[in-house]
Amino acid sequence: MSPRRTSAGGRIDRTRSIRFTFDGVSYSGHAGDTLASALLANGVSLFGRSFKYHRPRGVLAAGIDEPNALVTIVKGEEREPNIPATMLEIYDGLATVSQNRFPSLAFDVGAINALGGRALAAGFYYKTFMGPVIGPLKGTRFWMFCEHFIRRAAGLGRAGTAFDTSRYERMNAFCDVLVVGAGPAGLSAAKAAAQTGARVMLADLDAVMGGSANWSSETIDGTPAASWAAETVASLAACDNVRLLPRTTVWGYYDDNTLGALERVTDHKAAIRKGEPRHRHWAIRAGKVILATGAFERPLVFPDNDRPGVLLASAAQRYVNEFGVLPGEKIAVFTNCDSAYGAAEALHAAGARIMAIVDVRTSASEDARRIAASVGGEHLLGHAVVETEGGKTVTGIKVQPFDPVAKRLSGHARHLDADCLIVSGGWSPVVHLASQAGAIPKWDETLQAFLPAEPSQPWVGAGAFNGHYDTATAIAEGAAAGGATTDEDSLPAIGNAAPASPPAAVFEIRASGKSFVDYQHDVTAEDVRLAHREGFISVEHLKRYTTLGMATDQGKTSNVPGLAIMADATGRTIPETGTTRFRPPFTPVSIGSLAAERFGEIRPERLTPMHDWHVAQGATMFAAGLWYRPQIYGKPGENIEQAYVREARATRTDAGIVDVSTLGKIAVQGPDAAELLDRVYTNLFSTLPVNKARYGLMLREEGIAFDDGTTWRLGENDFLMTTTTANAGKVMQHLEYYLDVVWPELKVQVTSVSDQWAGAAIGGPKARQILAACVTGTAVDDDALPFMGIVHGEIAGAPVMICRLSFSGEMAFEVYCGAGHGLHVWEALIEAGKPFGLVPYGLEALGTLRIEKGHVTGAEIDGRTTARDLHLSWMLSKKKPYIGSQMIEREGLVSPNRIQLVGVVSLDNRPLNGGSHIVERLDVQNPHDSIGHVSSVCYAPALGKYIGLALVKGGKARHGTRAFVSDPLRNRFGPIEIVSHHFFDPEGKRMHG
Amino acid sequence: MVEMLSPLAPVWRPGPHGDLSAGIGVVMSETQPGSIVQLAAWPGETAGMLAAIDGHTGLSLPDIPGGGVSTETKAAFGFAPGKFLVVDEAEGLAESLSEAIPASLGTVTDLSHGRTALRLAGPKAEWVLAKFFAVDFSLPVFPVGKAVSTGHHDIFALIQRTAPDAFDLYIYRSYARAFWTALGHACEEVGYEVR
Repeated sequence: MSPRRTSAGGRIDRTRSIRFTFDGVSYSGHAGDTLASALLANGVSLFGRSFKYHRPRGVLAAGIDEPNALVTIVKGEEREPNIPATMLEIYDGLATVSQNRFPSLAFDVGAINALGGRALAAGFYYKTFMGPVIGPLKGTRFWMFCEHFIRRAAGLGRAGTAFDTSRYERMNAFCDVLVVGAGPAGLSAAKAAAQTGARVMLADLDAVMGGSANWSSETIDGTPAASWAAETVASLAACDNVRLLPRTTVWGYYDDNTLGALERVTDHKAAIRKGEPRHRHWAIRAGKVILATGAFERPLVFPDNDRPGVLLASAAQRYVNEFGVLPGEKIAVFTNCDSAYGAAEALHAAGARIMAIVDVRTSASEDARRIAASVGGEHLLGHAVVETEGGKTVTGIKVQPFDPVAKRLSGHARHLDADCLIVSGGWSPVVHLASQAGAIPKWDETLQAFLPAEPSQPWVGAGAFNGHYDTATAIAEGAAAGGATTDEDSLPAIGNAAPASPPAAVFEIRASGKSFVDYQHDVTAEDVRLAHREGFISVEHLKRYTTLGMATDQGKTSNVPGLAIMADATGRTIPETGTTRFRPPFTPVSIGSLAAERFGEIRPERLTPMHDWHVAQGATMFAAGLWYRPQIYGKPGENIEQAYVREARATRTDAGIVDVSTLGKIAVQGPDAAELLDRVYTNLFSTLPVNKARYGLMLREEGIAFDDGTTWRLGENDFLMTTTTANAGKVMQHLEYYLDVVWPELKVQVTSVSDQWAGAAIGGPKARQILAACVTGTAVDDDALPFMGIVHGEIAGAPVMICRLSFSGEMAFEVYCGAGHGLHVWEALIEAGKPFGLVPYGLEALGTLRIEKGHVTGAEIDGRTTARDLHLSWMLSKKKPYIGSQMIEREGLVSPNRIQLVGVVSLDNRPLNGGSHIVERLDVQNPHDSIGHVSSVCYAPALGKYIGLALVKGGKARHGTRAFVSDPLRNRFGPIEIVSHHFFDPEGKRMHG
Repeated sequence: MVEMLSPLAPVWRPGPHGDLSAGIGVVMSETQPGSIVQLAAWPGETAGMLAAIDGHTGLSLPDIPGGGVSTETKAAFGFAPGKFLVVDEAEGLAESLSEAIPASLGTVTDLSHGRTALRLAGPKAEWVLAKFFAVDFSLPVFPVGKAVSTGHHDIFALIQRTAPDAFDLYIYRSYARAFWTALGHACEEVGYEVR
């Protein structure tokens, strides 16, 4: 084959040269070229090696259906494999390499596989490598051993491991009409829809809209079809109500007319503008969808049909008419239908010699006979190609008489000269999206193709998608689908119309040699028959056994021929054998585009008003859900334990301050607010006076503890509920659910005010003095601010609300102010605290102080424990029902065998681990008989010991006994003493003052 | 009175950014209203609440889902059945509305500190918003004054159209910096100015 550039024609810009490389060799092409057309124009016909047999492969198609010519794009360290050269627009500096070859494309040692012949047929690897006993390797272990080598020998491109530096985006779009495909039908539909005033989106996967009009030899209303397409596109681009999306593949059709599309925004550009994404993922909600997706030409299956130089007839026509590239000088045609005659005519007109037209049919249409006569060469009706000759390119073919009804060869094969063979096995409408939308394609015996079924969603089809391959019908159907009310006379006239006739029902010419059905996965016709012989009759099983249609092209050229061969083998019709149905995506979708703006920013950061202060003070920030909280404020040379011990000790000695802005805060308002709280908390809130707070516990419906926190009564009908940081969202949903669904009669409004308030908890023996030094407008002494009391005042001019409550066990206060004043108030507290030794403390010290006090958090309220387990049964009101109250007396929830909260003290003076099991007898080799687990741990400066909280069977009854921690994962074993969880100040003297 | 501090301070970079080859597509700003107040009417009391809003602020809201109005200094809109957000350049709206709206009509919740108000204005504002929200922002469907309650992954947002090419967004304060940063990224390709 000696492909070359024609002297004129095509949409390429011959005045602009573009340099690119393929396998390290530099080539030049023109603006508008794809990699495939540019390489063909440079005389390159070998594009890659096949998946299994490493056979040389050229380019078969000219579009998204290309199975062979896959390349890897290389950009620095980044590699993107398996890109069809037919879809890759060249740009200056584009670097590509071929795939699945070693050491080079021309000389590939893996090609020895091709000599293996039948040995590598379907199922070969499983049959050979699974099961046998080779030394110590049995069954799947032998497979696992071999798999590594097999995968190296067989396969497609290799993905890169470098970080993808590209940017991806997502768009949400809404339109009245989405037109998929911008060929004559789609353009006509979009134009008609635009004229109705509808909001129209028109998407096409190619760079230049126009579809077949860009490469047909027809005229539309007297102008070349490509010009008609360009003018139509220009008129659509001028409409405000039309959005054109070239280079956009609509790849998924989902419920409610929601479609997914991938726009390749910068893949064709040498230079990317600031902020421009590589790919844009469109989620399109369309009122109506017009499917004008066209049809794929099918190859014929015959021996050595995969040799470089064998192309689809439409692809050859596209290369010559659209890109100005002749795929060969001496071209033979092999067909079962009329459309290939049109391709022959176009190639002949561009200067190629047509050596022969080999047609399996015994008679051809008048159009076909006319073209055959005009292009010269032999016209062999009732013949078939039985072999291609040559090495890495076609040098000739062998033809033989063929009976298309009996599908049998007769007579003798003879040689014909040719450097290129163009093939047509008929057409398959691109029904993928309709199939995804739920319509099962129907087999049409006349067209020998699957056609779309009745729409199951609001879509209409037009043109070749419907199996109507002529341009006049396509334009008419498009116009009607778009809502045009014009009569037929106003539709454009088609000149030099391409011949179109139904194909003969011939898919395969059986003769000796490898006849490929699925080029990309190297599946032959014999593999399909082998699958049948081995009992795989269902088309679904056939697919999985042979991997037919499972490659990156998803069988665009192979599904129907494969099904036809299976039908023939089983003696059934094609519809009896099965139906090809399609799932999304139509073509591969970049993962980056699905992640879109989340790529590299997987989740948002939630920051408290004092965040920047913490960071400036050197705090180590710790992710707590989406929030960031200070873990420690480490000083130089301190480790985490030294830092939190210092912070906790200072809090017990003088005073400490911690940012509690992350606590969930819910405004509970309305005349029935107190009633709601009585129902959701285990204890009473209706009796709570205004300006007082109360600690509350919530249960889930089945009686398990859910969340705890304090709720402040700010007014008769106005409460501020606080929740744990982790459960803020869940509690809000819990309340909304009960108000919306269970008790809609309650007049209560709940609103998240977590972000409205900044909170600082200040505790320690000197905390009250610090407040006294900075709070104005209210007293903070014991009379004005008793335990659980609330006062309103100001700090440094900002309004604050102070509640005296304690998590640390010290005399402590929570100071709330508007979040916008948070930093201001915090800094004023820090300043006021300086003379009193106030230290900021982080989550570790917060945990230490509460463990010393035996206060529980999410580690203990873990979704498995009850109020009794946690010694909170004093909070279970007997005066009223509440959520969970009906279930708390269940046998399983009051069993003495349940785990209960206890304290544990490390007796070997080493740190304990959260999650360690607790055992009565230590057996390092065979750990067993756990009686519970450690839930929270710390070094307790107040006690000078490593301690923890734990949930242990028997609980209280074990106080004063010894046990062991058993943590085989972290190899930590050691003695402990089980004690009360109230380690420090059990009477609460410090807190109450 | 102490000034409310913006959560955007460390990431506030006034001036033009991104690809400016086609000019400024979007202007990003923080409106910093003095008051953001949520009102919720009890079932059957929506008309009374609308009347109270009108009487107190002079903003007459249409009683339709997402109905709203905005002026130079004030805005109000419905974002859920019986629920409204009322915004004022001046401080103190929550207090005055609390006095004007009896408990029998509904509740008043001050969110002035809890929500950060961002404005996206310019010919590409719709385009940028479409990157984040599955909402049809086209002018015929989403006219001036209309609002919607929506979300982008974890970030809840109330959005009101205040002009043919301008939208005000109310975001939880703690998320505001993350959202602002993401918004800036999304605006890069169309060219944007922070002011």
